[in-house]
Amino acid sequence: MLINNEFNEDKIQSPLQYTWAIFKNKSAAIVSMWGVITLIFFALFAELIVTHEPSTQYAQNLLLPPYWLEGGSTDHILGTDDLGRDTLARLIQGLQLTLGGGILITFMISLIGSLIGATAVLTKGLKASILHHLLDALLTIPTLLTALILIVLFGPSYENCLLAVSLSLLPQFIRGIYIAIENELSKQYIIALQLDGATNTRLLRFGIFPNIIEPMVTLLNRIFTMAILEIATLGFLGFGTQLPDVELGSLIASSIDLIYLSPWLVFFPGIAIFLIIIIFNVFSEGLRHSVIEGEE
Amino acid sequence: MQTLLNVSNLCKNYKRSARFSSTGFRKTLGPLNFTLERGKTLALVGESGAGKSTLVQIIAGLIKPSSGEIYVKDKPLSTFSQQERCTSIRMIFQDPSSSLNPKATIGRILAAPLELNTPLTMEQRRRQILNTLNLVGLLPDYLDFYPNMLSSIQQHQVAIARALILKPDIIIADEILASLDISLRFKIVNLLLNIQEKIGVSYIFVAHNMNLVRHMSDQIVVMEDGMIVENNSTEKIYNFPQSAVTKQLLQSHQPHYRKER
Repeated sequence: MLINNEFNEDKIQSPLQYTWAIFKNKSAAIVSMWGVITLIFFALFAELIVTHEPSTQYAQNLLLPPYWLEGGSTDHILGTDDLGRDTLARLIQGLQLTLGGGILITFMISLIGSLIGATAVLTKGLKASILHHLLDALLTIPTLLTALILIVLFGPSYENCLLAVSLSLLPQFIRGIYIAIENELSKQYIIALQLDGATNTRLLRFGIFPNIIEPMVTLLNRIFTMAILEIATLGFLGFGTQLPDVELGSLIASSIDLIYLSPWLVFFPGIAIFLIIIIFNVFSEGLRHSVIEGEE
Repeated sequence: MQTLLNVSNLCKNYKRSARFSSTGFRKTLGPLNFTLERGKTLALVGESGAGKSTLVQIIAGLIKPSSGEIYVKDKPLSTFSQQERCTSIRMIFQDPSSSLNPKATIGRILAAPLELNTPLTMEQRRRQILNTLNLVGLLPDYLDFYPNMLSSIQQHQVAIARALILKPDIIIADEILASLDISLRFKIVNLLLNIQEKIGVSYIFVAHNMNLVRHMSDQIVVMEDGMIVENNSTEKIYNFPQSAVTKQLLQSHQPHYRKER
């Protein structure tokens, strides 16, 4: 209990609680947060929701349209493809691989990238200079091209696809985090901490990372979006997931010949990619704005 | 009596490559010599660009000098460990709203120097923090607050508390009064002078306002273009200014109606 309660507040909110309080008042952000939760829930518990196996072929039900159209059946809610496989089941598996891959890549990149970026900022001299110019050189190559070259070297498979995409996006993240930390290093409270004799780890833990949440959110969102698009592109080109597993990009590629017969097969995976990206972007934008407002 | 701070032949050269700029601009500081006694206040005045801030940053340890030495209690500062340096010289930054980490509570901000530089236990640290807060006139309530919840004067008090918490011999204040309005300025000045009376700490001020300097300081060092042009006691500087710079500085802070004469 405070001695004098001049602020009329019961408790003091930490920056995190304060950000959450602002976030709660943004309806678009809350809707997108539930969207994110739903997507992740679908990806995690796909087996419980979908009754069909993605690779089972129902020979008597070829090229069914979605159930709300003429000729559709409620057995296959989103219809079937030319071999009689359930579209919904394949869509959910595609979601699992694409979304899961995107999240995994973002997570790995944020860990490894922060580590390398922070070391690069805090070391001076030749080592830092080499890293700096190497990253600059890597940034001149488009990420998708890097990913394609890497996947050709590794050989096409889902794991290699994830590896190639993470390696191609890593320089961007390191660069972004490098700039964010470097900006932060010139702030007076960091200089004050350094004068106190703080070690580098302490400086990062208490001084720098709590203050770069906003650029961090933007950066992670960009990495995630690009990761999803690149996984889908590699899948579409046939370098990613190999049959019988499907992924949203390869799902579009396999049914692109049937676009006149049954446009739904291309439409649904495309919509799914679109939804994933827009939901995550709205979510991160809401988060970013609440962090900014919380800092003011 | 032992001299607390002795700056001898301190120099700082900035090397600028002449290859790209036509002038080959080169700015130097020093050689500077001055001393400071325990419990006294030294004010650094001069026009902007005279090297005052560079000088205090060298003393605080933010910049390494090119040559020369600073002696604290007759020991050269370059042989000090980080801990010894922190417990002898502390700095208050210009603007507390940017020198206090916005994501840390006041308690953590004040505890950090103690954790890093002293072997005190948790309980001793807590007592030390409460004592220091009491000294600068803040309630222990504020320990759980974040810096942006405090008013600018309270932030100043916290910044002063952070400088005081290691019980240093010298506190450097780099234009801390510039961002405050006149009544709060006097409150902070009186607070600092009261603290000096109680614990006998020495101050090095960088200041602009000559009237405040007269009120606060025992000794004034006037700088111009990286050199000391005058170094004397406050009363002598005010009554018998020797150099043109000093006269001009004193003139510029005269009320307007007196300037004409």
